[in-house]
Amino acid sequence: MIELIGRDRPDLFLIISIVILLAIGLSTVYSASMAVSESGLFRKQVLWVVIGIVFFLVGTWISFRRLEEISPVLYLLTCLLLLATIFLGSGPADRWIIIGPLHIQPSEIAKAGLILMSSWWLSSLRVRPRKYGELLVFLTILPAIILTLLQPDLGTSVAMIMIVLAIFIWAGYGPGWIYLIVSPFLAAVSSIHIIFWILFMCILGLILYRRRYPFSTWLIFMGGNSIVAALTPFAWNLLETYQRSRLITFLDPSSDPHGAGWNIIQSEVAVGSGGLFGQGFLQGAQKELAYLPARHTDFVFSVWAEETGFLGGLILLATFFLLIWRITLAARKSVNAFNSLVTAGIAAYFTIHVFVNVGMTVGIMPVTGLPLPLISYGGSQMIVVFFLLGLAVNAGMYWREV
Amino acid sequence: MYGNSKNWPFFFSLSVVSILFILLGAKLIYLQIIKGEYYRGLSSQNHIRVIVTPAPRGVISDRNGIILADSKPAFIVSAVPSEFNRANAALVEQQLEMTEGELNEILDEASNVPHRPVVLREGLGVEKVSSIAENLYRIPGVVIDVAPLRRYHRPEDFCHILGYVGLADDQNSFRGEITGRTGLELRLNETLRGIPGLQREVVDALGRIVEEFRGASSEDPVPGGNVTLTIDAGLQRIAITELEQTGIPGAVVVIDYENGDILCAASIPTFDPNMFARGITQDEWTAILDNQYNPLFERAWAAAYPPASTFKVITACWLLSEGLISPDYMPNPCYGSLTLGDTEFGCWAAHGRLNVVQALEQSCDVFFYRTVQLGTINELAEYTACFGMGSRLTDVLIGEKSGLIPDSDYLNRAYGNDGWGLGNLLNISIGQGELLATPLQLAVTAGIIASRGEMPFPGILLQRKIMNPVLSHGAVTDSAFDTVTEGMLRVVTSRRGTLYNTFSDSSLDFWGKTGTAECPGEDHALVIGFVRDPMPLAICVVIEHGGHGGAVAGPVAERILSSYFAEEGSD
Repeated sequence: MIELIGRDRPDLFLIISIVILLAIGLSTVYSASMAVSESGLFRKQVLWVVIGIVFFLVGTWISFRRLEEISPVLYLLTCLLLLATIFLGSGPADRWIIIGPLHIQPSEIAKAGLILMSSWWLSSLRVRPRKYGELLVFLTILPAIILTLLQPDLGTSVAMIMIVLAIFIWAGYGPGWIYLIVSPFLAAVSSIHIIFWILFMCILGLILYRRRYPFSTWLIFMGGNSIVAALTPFAWNLLETYQRSRLITFLDPSSDPHGAGWNIIQSEVAVGSGGLFGQGFLQGAQKELAYLPARHTDFVFSVWAEETGFLGGLILLATFFLLIWRITLAARKSVNAFNSLVTAGIAAYFTIHVFVNVGMTVGIMPVTGLPLPLISYGGSQMIVVFFLLGLAVNAGMYWREV
Repeated sequence: MYGNSKNWPFFFSLSVVSILFILLGAKLIYLQIIKGEYYRGLSSQNHIRVIVTPAPRGVISDRNGIILADSKPAFIVSAVPSEFNRANAALVEQQLEMTEGELNEILDEASNVPHRPVVLREGLGVEKVSSIAENLYRIPGVVIDVAPLRRYHRPEDFCHILGYVGLADDQNSFRGEITGRTGLELRLNETLRGIPGLQREVVDALGRIVEEFRGASSEDPVPGGNVTLTIDAGLQRIAITELEQTGIPGAVVVIDYENGDILCAASIPTFDPNMFARGITQDEWTAILDNQYNPLFERAWAAAYPPASTFKVITACWLLSEGLISPDYMPNPCYGSLTLGDTEFGCWAAHGRLNVVQALEQSCDVFFYRTVQLGTINELAEYTACFGMGSRLTDVLIGEKSGLIPDSDYLNRAYGNDGWGLGNLLNISIGQGELLATPLQLAVTAGIIASRGEMPFPGILLQRKIMNPVLSHGAVTDSAFDTVTEGMLRVVTSRRGTLYNTFSDSSLDFWGKTGTAECPGEDHALVIGFVRDPMPLAICVVIEHGGHGGAVAGPVAERILSSYFAEEGSD
């Protein structure tokens, strides 16, 4: 019998991994900022960290019950912020809202809002199941994803969907169920080749058989997805040439060797030239030569890997793994569904960001502009990440809370 | 755990996370350990460099083999912004005789594509470039390329025909590649450019060649094709000289009416295309822009003027060939003007009773005002088009204008359905109104009369194939040719002819027609005509705002042809 009162100490491993990653992040931004003409980057980053720690403390201090109550309101606020970005957005790619000295990137905040909202929905569905409840969840998160897509920020909206799907998995929806949910998208992709399409349909049929759905469900899924697959080539032809090339470049950067593909090649050269032990702190040659784009934000891992080599890269990845593992443990322990789902969402947030960002710099993922949490330069992102980490520590301390 | 019964989400998630991290780690092992040495070499810095050997651009010469445009060896100096150390800026500026700060400005402008070299100086001779080459090891990021400099030997005479070249700046061109910007250089660029050669070398950070690249073989350049023009450079020179003596803009076109060769297409004012080939300076560019007569504008085929009385040749052909009048027909006399409704259509003198030959000879307007009313505006417009008016005559001359023949559709658009009337036809009959023709078209009109309709379409390339006649077969009757030719002869030989004074002391047998185009400011002076001996030439001279056609353009035409034949005879 578990004691259901009291609280634990904060998870020491979690705190240690945060401190290590923060140290790596600050030193890499410092190194990268040496080669950037914009002065004061490092000092600003320190400021963001200080503000972030305040939000971290807020996250550890806040009551999850209070948070659960205000989650829909918080989500609504982030949607309004995203809406404002569409009309008032400025800065690179119109993704920022600028109020005086404040530069806010609402799509970063929206990710936190999405985690809270979908956790809120799924935990309340657990208390009071509804017919088509899952559909309601998706309809609720749709505005945030569409508004992000309109910015346009395809990478972030895909990341948002992945986070929500991860929360669904944590809530007990199996991979088969997830497959059914994303099947229209898979159908569209499978229309590239008949082999893919057959494979897709076989898996679909297997899942439908295993889950013993009635004939009407079979008809809807098999028929609907066949129509989607058949119509995709026409829809593709309806797109303007530039829209097509943007999609192709997103999925296959090497098709555009002067633009995104060029960045990837430079980043791979930087990472590769790090070797086993790296070029040494502040010694990265590629970074100095201004070859590396966005080296303090999106490609910050390249700078770290170039200067500290495989050893440094491994330490970074291992620390992130430790962080994610400890957060997942906290999610597993938590008795309350909302606490557990939020914490799992935070773990998913980190997993997706680390994989997509580092994957991009080593050339196994498309260029998306997702930052590396705790490492990349940037205020909005730093504050959101610290707040989420505060929540994760909080959940680990109060796991008994019902 | 809130879902006490299920542990699988935890293990599922953890295994997904593990797989993703293992993927990242594997790629890191591949990049940093397996290929680490290779990438370290790349970044510190042996790399493959492609050396492009430019193909010699084709030579352009005139019909007698006089070279008008060729290339001489020259070099360009560029800098790669990402490799260039700005501490060396002063040294480079001094070597290249640039002003202080100029280099930094160029680099700042190019900084968004830091790996693509920017041209600092082009068209440098061997002496200039050798001093930089000696210092190249001290200034990494600076590159020297061979880039032949286009040289125009008769720059003023041929600036509009040939146009000029400049450095190509599109993505597919190599550094120092030159490409046609205007004129025939642009139109015939594909013929002239040739195919550049390629060599691949492996170089180190200081640009020293380590070895020839063994991956692909070298390719030698293929020289560009040569082009021969129909233009006679001697005649072109004479025409430019004579035009320049008038001191105002103008154009001359001379065509061999038997084969359509354009022997001369002169336009002033001129400019020096070599300025563009070697890279124009700000002062030179400002000087061109400040010239109110716009030297860049070509006037022999890219400008359209009202043909004025020279058009009466076509009107007369129409009246005669369509049987509207006979050669002897004399309408009511010219009293110096014709009043139609409440509008008075003027003539420049009271000519009395005339037939069509006399009307051409004295350029009487009233004769045409009266007779042209026998037809309609659309009939005249359709007939005029047979002479090549209203459409382009060649397919190689860039910017060639088609001119304008107004018909009822055009006038309806311009003035509304009831906004125009018989007066427009009267104006058009004497070459005024909305009618516009290029000097080239007017020279062709003279050539058609001279050749009795046999003249082929004009051309400027000697290698071209001779085309069909411009004039549709049978559009002008034989008797109309006889009558109009006689009228054009009387313009010169008759005491009352508008060119009598001009040619009274000349040994030339000339058939002509003058024109004085009314326009805002001083009138345009025009003359068209032809000679049969010693060469079958048709000519058109236009002097912008020059005044009276017979008094201004006529003497220019006479002097050009006399000087040319004198020069030809002395050879």
